[in-house]
Amino acid sequence: MTDQLGALTTIFTEFYYWITVVLMFLIHVGFCMYEVGASRYKHHQHTLMKNTMLIPLVTVTWFLFGWWIYWAFPTGPGLAPSIMNESAALITDDSAFSAKWYVPNSELMAVNLGDHISGVFWAAFLLFSWTAASIVSGAVIERITTFAFGILAIAIGSVFWTIDAAWGWHFDGWMLKLLGYHDAYASGVIHACAGGFALGVLAVLGPRIGKFSSSGEPRNIGPRNPWLVTVGLFLIYTGFWGFYAACNIPIFDLGPEYGMEGVTYWTATNIYVTPTTLSGITMNFLMSLSGGLLAGYVIAKGDPFWTYSSGLAGIICASAGNDLYHPIQSMIIGMIGVVVAYKMHYWVERKFKIDDAVGAVAVHGYAGFAGLVICGFVLNGYPSSGYSVGAMWDGATYAAINPLGMFIGALVMFVVLGFIPGWIIAKVLHGMGKLRIPREVELAGLDYEIMEAAKDDEKSVASSG
Amino acid sequence: MAVTNWIDHLSAKEVAGAVYPGVGSEGILVLIAFVIWIGWHVISAKQESEKLSKLAKRRPSSSAWKNNVTDG
Repeated sequence: MTDQLGALTTIFTEFYYWITVVLMFLIHVGFCMYEVGASRYKHHQHTLMKNTMLIPLVTVTWFLFGWWIYWAFPTGPGLAPSIMNESAALITDDSAFSAKWYVPNSELMAVNLGDHISGVFWAAFLLFSWTAASIVSGAVIERITTFAFGILAIAIGSVFWTIDAAWGWHFDGWMLKLLGYHDAYASGVIHACAGGFALGVLAVLGPRIGKFSSSGEPRNIGPRNPWLVTVGLFLIYTGFWGFYAACNIPIFDLGPEYGMEGVTYWTATNIYVTPTTLSGITMNFLMSLSGGLLAGYVIAKGDPFWTYSSGLAGIICASAGNDLYHPIQSMIIGMIGVVVAYKMHYWVERKFKIDDAVGAVAVHGYAGFAGLVICGFVLNGYPSSGYSVGAMWDGATYAAINPLGMFIGALVMFVVLGFIPGWIIAKVLHGMGKLRIPREVELAGLDYEIMEAAKDDEKSVASSG
Repeated sequence: MAVTNWIDHLSAKEVAGAVYPGVGSEGILVLIAFVIWIGWHVISAKQESEKLSKLAKRRPSSSAWKNNVTDG
């Protein structure tokens, strides 16, 4: 960097994303606290360890291949040509945003004096990956093996969510062009996808012992430590600030980017490089959180577990369009998302005997799905990109946002890249006998031997006195 | 090549961006990372299977864990 203004812009952007990574770490802390609070005492330590180990597993695989997938797959491949090289093949050529630069042995995947952005951008996306895997983690507590969860975490965190991000979040993604897909803060690309994946796994994994009576009536296995759940959810809210900021580009000149001759227009943009403001999305974040809490309190009749979760569901439902909504629209959409999530959770539980231990499929999956569909109506006609705007299905230009495209997009996220892969991988693990812990261990508690050893230590210390 | 003199490095006509030790040997590092990653799964899965089957054979009752609660 040789000019000071360019250097300031670059270093500011580098520091901006770095801050988002630190904030998003709190999402993971929150998920860990939440899961431990929701699990029973005899499973606490394994529950925590399972969620902790997704950090290294997803990180290493994100380095090895996850990040490459994001840059390689925007075209499908074969579904819509790239605006960079006009080819519908995997993007692995010499163009500026090619996956070629993000193979694990690339010089840009390391300390590089000529590149201040790749590393922090890689890390911001990685923290999204952890979130995707963590969403699945909560749903399956107290009966999945750590081995199986590790495989599933890598699948959702370093493969399937990154494919959907390439398709529906990348500025060159085929879903923007063919469907007019718009998902600024990841109602679908993170939440609906991970929620659908969790549902697919749960359908194979089965409920915790005792969750359903012999007549099929569901029993409540409520959180054992509601205060830990509360603090956990507040930390997730806090980390979500970083998540929202990380979905933006902090400073960008859209004039030359869109080929507008003689126009200079510096602004923050969303991930699609269309204009928004950090200021406006902050209002929308808080209003959708508030809408979720208000609706959750009423629909769950003051139940704290659901009320706190509903705050999250409110944000998740409004996230698809929170770059453009009015704050009151965000609040109302957040409220709708909570009603959908809550009603769907109990209907699916009774109808299909699905034991979603923390309501993850509801809060992330159903609320995210609903958010995408609602966005299609509320933002109907808005361009999905600032580049050449065209019609649905033409493939060469970008379709406008529309209800049908967003509904199909929601199905792609929840079913195609969520439920189906989750179900298939869980089936394979089940077939290998590696998915679920033995019944005797589930009854005794995953921590039985750790606790027993601690008790023995305590006795020997006491006897030495 | 390792950096031995920052003045020479930064005043070069084209400043090399990659400054880590062993530039050019990234492929070997990636191979090592793959081995560590897969190896971890193999070892930890074996450990977990052994632990689970050992505990399953003991068949503690569903309330036996309460006897192991420590005094904190």
